Amino acid sequence: MAGVILKAVFKTFGKTTAIKNFSLEIDDGEFVVLVGPSGCGKSTMLRLIAGLETASSGEIYIGDQLVNEVHPRDRDISMVFQNYALYPRMTVYENMSFSLRMRKIPKAEIERIVRQTADLLRIGQLLDRKPGQLSGGQRQRVALGRSIVRNPQVFLFDEPLSNLDAKLRIAMRAELLLLHQRLKTTIIYVTHDQLEAMTMGNRIVVMKDGLIQQVDAPDAVYDQPLNRFVAGFIGSPTMNFIDCRVVSEKGDLYATTPGIRLKIPESHARHAEKYIDQEAILGIRPEHLTVSTNNRHLDAADRFKAVVRVIENAGSEKLVHIRNENDTLVARLERHIRLKTEETVDFTARMDSAHLFDKQTEHTIF
Amino acid sequence: MTPYGQKSNRVKWIGAPVKYVLFTVMMLTWAFPVIWVILTSFKARTDIFTLPPRIFFNPTVEHYIEAFVRSSDIARGTLNSILVATATTVLTLLVAVPAGYAFSRVTFRFRNQLSFFALMTQMAPPIGLIIPYFFILSRTGMLDSYTGLIAIHMTLTVPFCIWLMITYFQDLPVSLEESAAIDGASPFAAFFRVVLPSTWGGVGVTAIFAFIESWNEFLYAVVLTGSRTKTVPVAIFSFLTTEESLWGPFTATGVTIMAPVIVVALFAQRQMIKGMTLGATKG
Amino acid sequence: MSKKADPKKVRYEVQWERFGYAMISPSMIFLILVATLPLVSLLIMSFFRIDLTYPLDNGWVGFENYLEMAKDERFWYSIKLTAIYTISTVFLQVAVGLALAMAFFRGFRGQGVMRVSVLLPMILAPVVVGLAWRTLILTPEYGILDYVSILLGFGSKPWLVAPTWAMISVIIIHTWQWTPFAFLVFLASLNAMPQEPLEAALLDTRSAWQRFRYIILPMLQPAIIIVVIFRTMIALRAFAAIFSATGGGPGTATEILNLYAYRVSFNSLDLGYGAALGTVLLLITVGISLFFFRMRRSSTG
Ligand SMILES: Nc1ncnc2c1ncn2[C@@H]1O[C@H](COP(=O)(O)OP(=O)(O)O)[C@@H](O)[C@H]1O
Ligand SMILES: [Mg+2]
Repeated sequence: MAGVILKAVFKTFGKTTAIKNFSLEIDDGEFVVLVGPSGCGKSTMLRLIAGLETASSGEIYIGDQLVNEVHPRDRDISMVFQNYALYPRMTVYENMSFSLRMRKIPKAEIERIVRQTADLLRIGQLLDRKPGQLSGGQRQRVALGRSIVRNPQVFLFDEPLSNLDAKLRIAMRAELLLLHQRLKTTIIYVTHDQLEAMTMGNRIVVMKDGLIQQVDAPDAVYDQPLNRFVAGFIGSPTMNFIDCRVVSEKGDLYATTPGIRLKIPESHARHAEKYIDQEAILGIRPEHLTVSTNNRHLDAADRFKAVVRVIENAGSEKLVHIRNENDTLVARLERHIRLKTEETVDFTARMDSAHLFDKQTEHTIF
Repeated sequence: MTPYGQKSNRVKWIGAPVKYVLFTVMMLTWAFPVIWVILTSFKARTDIFTLPPRIFFNPTVEHYIEAFVRSSDIARGTLNSILVATATTVLTLLVAVPAGYAFSRVTFRFRNQLSFFALMTQMAPPIGLIIPYFFILSRTGMLDSYTGLIAIHMTLTVPFCIWLMITYFQDLPVSLEESAAIDGASPFAAFFRVVLPSTWGGVGVTAIFAFIESWNEFLYAVVLTGSRTKTVPVAIFSFLTTEESLWGPFTATGVTIMAPVIVVALFAQRQMIKGMTLGATKG
Repeated sequence: MSKKADPKKVRYEVQWERFGYAMISPSMIFLILVATLPLVSLLIMSFFRIDLTYPLDNGWVGFENYLEMAKDERFWYSIKLTAIYTISTVFLQVAVGLALAMAFFRGFRGQGVMRVSVLLPMILAPVVVGLAWRTLILTPEYGILDYVSILLGFGSKPWLVAPTWAMISVIIIHTWQWTPFAFLVFLASLNAMPQEPLEAALLDTRSAWQRFRYIILPMLQPAIIIVVIFRTMIALRAFAAIFSATGGGPGTATEILNLYAYRVSFNSLDLGYGAALGTVLLLITVGISLFFFRMRRSSTG
């Protein structure tokens, strides 16, 4: 097994640059997820690692070998494609054994490995079928099996779950994690689904327009996003962003809009000092908004009034769309809280969990 | 889902009865000449020239016997046609299928120029090709040879079949070959073991078109063939050269030429129409 | 499984490029030898006198064949016929094909039968088609069309013996054989058209004609262009059906450029002049197809 090292990788297609200055060290046995909106270059990066594309510049190492010029079959990787790419006219057994046959492994050995893998994935009874006779979930397993049999150093997964229905996808997520715990092989996993990224990765690489935005453990990406893009991309429903002005009153800093005035906690204040009397963007996650419980007087530093516009009942919780002046926010509330639309309600923001972003650069201020 | 049928009932361009009358006229217009050739081929000499024309009659196969037994031209011509069309088809597939695959998948230098070149050769007027071809073959003593005729038939079939195969290969996901490459297969292995087995349908339709093209071909055959290699579309003229028209044997031979094409069309009409209109509708 | 990469082994893209060349070379070599070289020879031959009936005078003549052509009334007449034949058959195919496609698109029962009957003319041997029309359909009295014409009171027509009628007949035959192509293409594009504009059109427009003119016709435009391109090219190649129906006659009444070049080359065995005629046809074809390519690019891009 081996890690993967990417050094300043660029990839251009004609005029578009799909990957820009991509550097990353992936440890042996790590489960790394590349996540980002469609078209941001995730697949391209994976294909560069696989050797299906050649980097325009930069270096790619698998283990300690520089592989830029190495053919995919010699990189000791395996890849699962979004459409699975099962060979349509071969049986499941032939599909799974194809790579071993290409490598001239003895027949008996092939048989043993394929059966063992099939049992691991519980597809032993499907070995004689053709891909056309399988359900989506079964095809997915066969594609997995085909990549496992070779016992490669690195698994590359390109949106392997996005063709499955929601329920199956969640089940397969857990199974893939179990598989990783068992095989302990490095996995580089591509998805556009931030939830999938959060639940699966040891580390998440958030990408946008071919550039790495942030590399961190899931919690860190969630709690300390490096910029507004990451803050907005990770988490659902998405973070509320409010254009505000930073003002200083009696030594305290406030983020203000025409209808909202929220105190910036002392712990964060020193980061925001540079922005006094300037515009900034306040970011508050929907779960950090709650209905104020007791009736303290209104100019409390973490409260504001808002009109309830829409209530989405999601069963375990409520998503409430609220409006203050020109700002629309979403609050994620517990299910037992009863609200009526058009009602004006007093909300409390957990300002110690809020973020402030530079309006121009969109970098995180705190 | 909104029921599709409901929409189509509302958006009606012509009333249903008019439509069915039109339908019948259209069917007759296109099917009738073919049906009439077939009927005539089974009519006795005395039933052919009657007024009004006879639809009911005692069928006879005398014209087939006359065409095939009495005149050696037709039997030999049919065998020649089978030979030439089969060889043309096989050789065409051997060069066009790989080329179609490469054009649809591989980005090599001059790809666009080369595929444009292939397209242009198809546009070349046959008369412009046959004049030098005839001259060259007459100089090399290759007139009336199977090789010459097969080669020039391939100038018709190869570009078209390359182009048709491109559209079939484009329907396959590229990830198949990428997967095979990672699995350790060479491009050739991927082509033969993964791609080709998934495209037999397309290859089949392509083969049908190549065969029909060669089977029906007339201009090249009439110029290049002599008594030895004359194909049946050329041989059929022997019944109509004089003004004494031998409609019977002519139609019998006509049916012989049309029969394989009609049979194939009955079985593969859907795929053939798709193949014909593919390039036009895909844009 | 080898851990070390063999330096002799090449990168994936390079491997594929080589593979690509290997796969296309047989067909390209073939086309160069058997299609391109003869066309080059055609051009060269057009500067020679190659009369197989008087081989003694044969030799380089420069532009003489072309100069002769400029004075050759039969040539100019054949150009005129080619233009008439091409334009009228293409126009008829598009018009009739479009009308039929409009009538039959959407969930029409009997499409299976229809498909076979319209497919057949296109794939039957043009020779058989031409001969069958000449005999079974257009022969005075005994030909079905002539018979019907008599029945309907129009009387017997000199279908293949009067010059104008002969031209009309070969145009009818070509249109009969190839309208199905236009019909099928239009039918396919109509069926593939998005439903919403049609639905909206139902509400917005007053008459079926307006719907057709302002909604459907613009959407069909790419298909129409394609059909015109394909059909023009085929019309310029037309040979077997005319040859078998009229042989170019009576006289030179249906002698389009193709047939003229054929008669000069293989009846008179004057290959040099035939090659010059063939070259002109080649240039016309190339010119028209380049024009179409440009037109298509500007209409799609
Ligand atoms: N073979 C290619 N040729 C040209 N552009 C490409 C090619 N592959 C990808 N791209 C471009 O590179 C960008 C990144 O694509 P991709 O890696 O597929 O994104 P993702 O997988 O994140 O959705 C896109 O803008 C895409 O259009
Ligand atoms: Mg992708």
